[in-house]
Amino acid sequence: MTRRAAPLLLILPAALVLTVFLLIPYFNIVLMSVRMPGNGVPYAPGWTLGNFAKFFADPFYLEQLGNTLWIGAVTTLACLVIGYPVALQLARGSGALRGLRYGIVLTPLLVGIVIRSYGWTILLGNNGVINRSLVGWGLIEAPLPLMYNGLGIIIALTHVLLPFMILPIMGAIQGIDPALELAARSLGAGRNTAFRRVVVPLSLPGIQAGCILVFVLAISAYVTPALIGGLRVKTAAVSVVDALIDSFQWPFGSAMALILAVIGGGVVLGFARATRMAWVRRR
Amino acid sequence: MKSVRAVVFNAYCWVVYGFLLAPIAVVVLASFNSGAFLTFPPQGLSLRWYYVFFDNEVFWRAIRTSLWVAAVATVISGAVGTAAAIFQVRYAGRGKEAVRMAMLAPLLLPEVLTAIALLFFVYGLGIGTKGMVGLLAGHLLVTLPFVFMNVAASLESFEPDWDLAARSLGAGRWARFRRVMLPMIKPGVIGGCLFAFIISFDTFTMSFLLKSVGTATLPIQLYDYLRTNFTPEAAAVSSFSVILTLVVVVVSEKLLGLKIRRF
Amino acid sequence: MTEVSLRQLTKQFGSFRAVDGISLEIGHGAFVSLLGPSGCGKTTTLKLIAGFEAVDGGAILFDGADVARLPAERRDIGMVFQNYALFPHLTVGGNLAFGLEMRKRPREEIARRTAEVLEMVQLQGLAGRYPRELSGGQQQRVALARALVIEPRILLLDEPLANLDAKLRDEMRFFIRDLQKRVGITTIYVTHDQSEALTMSDQVVVMFGGRIAQIGAPEDIYDRPASRAVADFVGRVNVIDARVTAAAAGGFQVATELGAFGLAGTAQPGQTLALALRPEAIGLTAGGDATVIAAAYSGGLVDYRVRTAQGRVLDVQAFPVPRFAVGDAVRLDVAAERLWPLA
Repeated sequence: MTRRAAPLLLILPAALVLTVFLLIPYFNIVLMSVRMPGNGVPYAPGWTLGNFAKFFADPFYLEQLGNTLWIGAVTTLACLVIGYPVALQLARGSGALRGLRYGIVLTPLLVGIVIRSYGWTILLGNNGVINRSLVGWGLIEAPLPLMYNGLGIIIALTHVLLPFMILPIMGAIQGIDPALELAARSLGAGRNTAFRRVVVPLSLPGIQAGCILVFVLAISAYVTPALIGGLRVKTAAVSVVDALIDSFQWPFGSAMALILAVIGGGVVLGFARATRMAWVRRR
Repeated sequence: MKSVRAVVFNAYCWVVYGFLLAPIAVVVLASFNSGAFLTFPPQGLSLRWYYVFFDNEVFWRAIRTSLWVAAVATVISGAVGTAAAIFQVRYAGRGKEAVRMAMLAPLLLPEVLTAIALLFFVYGLGIGTKGMVGLLAGHLLVTLPFVFMNVAASLESFEPDWDLAARSLGAGRWARFRRVMLPMIKPGVIGGCLFAFIISFDTFTMSFLLKSVGTATLPIQLYDYLRTNFTPEAAAVSSFSVILTLVVVVVSEKLLGLKIRRF
Repeated sequence: MTEVSLRQLTKQFGSFRAVDGISLEIGHGAFVSLLGPSGCGKTTTLKLIAGFEAVDGGAILFDGADVARLPAERRDIGMVFQNYALFPHLTVGGNLAFGLEMRKRPREEIARRTAEVLEMVQLQGLAGRYPRELSGGQQQRVALARALVIEPRILLLDEPLANLDAKLRDEMRFFIRDLQKRVGITTIYVTHDQSEALTMSDQVVVMFGGRIAQIGAPEDIYDRPASRAVADFVGRVNVIDARVTAAAAGGFQVATELGAFGLAGTAQPGQTLALALRPEAIGLTAGGDATVIAAAYSGGLVDYRVRTAQGRVLDVQAFPVPRFAVGDAVRLDVAAERLWPLA
């Protein structure tokens, strides 16, 4: 009996941490979303679904949600297009520089968000490196609006989320036996065809994992849109924090957060199903 | 003979690497600016802003707070995460995938939402953001998945037969852990803890929402500073933080790299 | 030296009965092989004896004492694993010392004993090496030394030669058997390789589907198989139909398509039998009514496939001289004493 029970002691601390600091607080948010909005206080006694109704009745919030999903989708696509070749190079490459390149891919994860955003401000601002150079070279008259808009958010999000696309794809490609590609070539497939018909389909699980990770992280990102988007462009996550922290609308903010989470989860689930079907058909 | 295709492919990849490095590189370059304002390229090089930063007690206090919080969070998640990883790989059986998902949940759930949930929670408990319970809990949550992932990965290459061999030689549970398993997963544990330390040191969202008076970590202090100031001092602080991270990563890679290669 | 008995041992994995009521007595210092195809329960049996798996039914006794409640680490067994399971973070010396350290032996004794076993397995001077710096054969001997240095009550070997190349495998057979005899330790050896089992063991236990199909000396297993399945698994065999034509005290006559033979034992006249006949028990001479249809030269011997006048195909193994080619007419000379009736 004690021999069977002993391993459970290993998971007990983690279970406690996750229950107390994650499960219960999240449950609390769900409860909060159906509480009555308060006046001057965070919430009032009683229960209501009005917080959800308020969200769906207001075109402003719906448009913002649409924008957030759009930014998430574009960021995901950008990460995939930019990241796949790098993942391929890292997975198949060797040599002295491989460690360095791997390190570079990890840098966005290792450098704090404030510093990264600060760097983007220096680069993308109206007075930033890019605009000043372009104006200096006479290519443009007035600075391009690269920051404080959706474009800036997408650039910065793509930057920080690229590792989450590259690493799973790299893992998937590393798991493909190089002999399969050679086998395809021996059967008469050209380099491109072998790549397209063998490597790409077999790396689909990595692509799927990468896309899901990037999309989820992109639509729920708070700091990057808050710092790069400025006051004009707000994503849903920024609005949630505004409602909760700045205007003390705890029930409404919680409801918004849940809606964002459920819709994000739904998109991910749909995507996972769609891509799995494609994967099955290819087999 | 290198094909054109290979050259183009390589060049493309290096452009991406450049993109990944760009925002960090400009910050580091800007920190050597000798002018009073942030201009790029710098108007002459100097360490002027580093001296300013080194004399600024506000940043040093923030650095001390960051190091302290990161140290505490790392020690706790190091122990909790390692134990959980051992359970997941060796004992979870059919629940393996479920345990993994649960352990990675803090990483997959929106950090800002987790931070808010924790904030409500500490208010609900009546302690609010006074003290560091909320802040430490937040940092514990963001670091735990990294320890878990690293240790679990190193455990995957641990052969069950080693454990059986140790048993056949008379080793009990504790001896097997200390003498056989721990030495072999040590790189994973140390790597996971270092990663956890860096994540905690750099994390913004958790600290931003759960900080209390006097517990501003370095990213928070930097953020506050940047809202009102545009001098290159912020770049100097940022570079210092980046270099600190880099040193930790490189040193551990050298130390651990040697250890790992001994296997 | 320890006597091991297994009594009605069973082990169930879900609905799969891996070990299904095995009973076995292993005498002091005996070398016993568990032989069978993969999935026959031989490795599970070994793990039950080692204590790595819990027994579902039956009992395991060491010198008459039930060990069921003894965890593996207290059973005093030495085990050699298929992949050796040497600790990669410890040197050869560290691996050898491990078991003694667990037994809290004094430092000088550990040093002396590890030096002794290293010499015993002829690896003097390699104590400072790491396992990955050794060849497969050397690793194998370290694994053996590590198991023996603790002077266990019994030695368990789980397919220890499976990862070695053919030549080394042959050498290690003699090495292990010789070492076992010198140490005099009760040994249980699991293998799916019949020639390993035959060359090394005092007793061979053939297992199929979690049950024991036959227990016997190597000669019994090979020449007097209990069933057609055993005969098939332990080497190649020709099975010939026979009819008993006459019986007397201590012997009987059979008629087969290869001729009439007298066999020892008892049988009823008119009874039909299946006779096992090993390929090397058939001699070939030139000129007869059988035809060589295939021949494979393998150095010391030639494997022929011969079709009899009745159309039956037989395997024959013979020396290369005289040599026959495909299409040659040959006569079959059956060594009657090698005919064995299968149950």
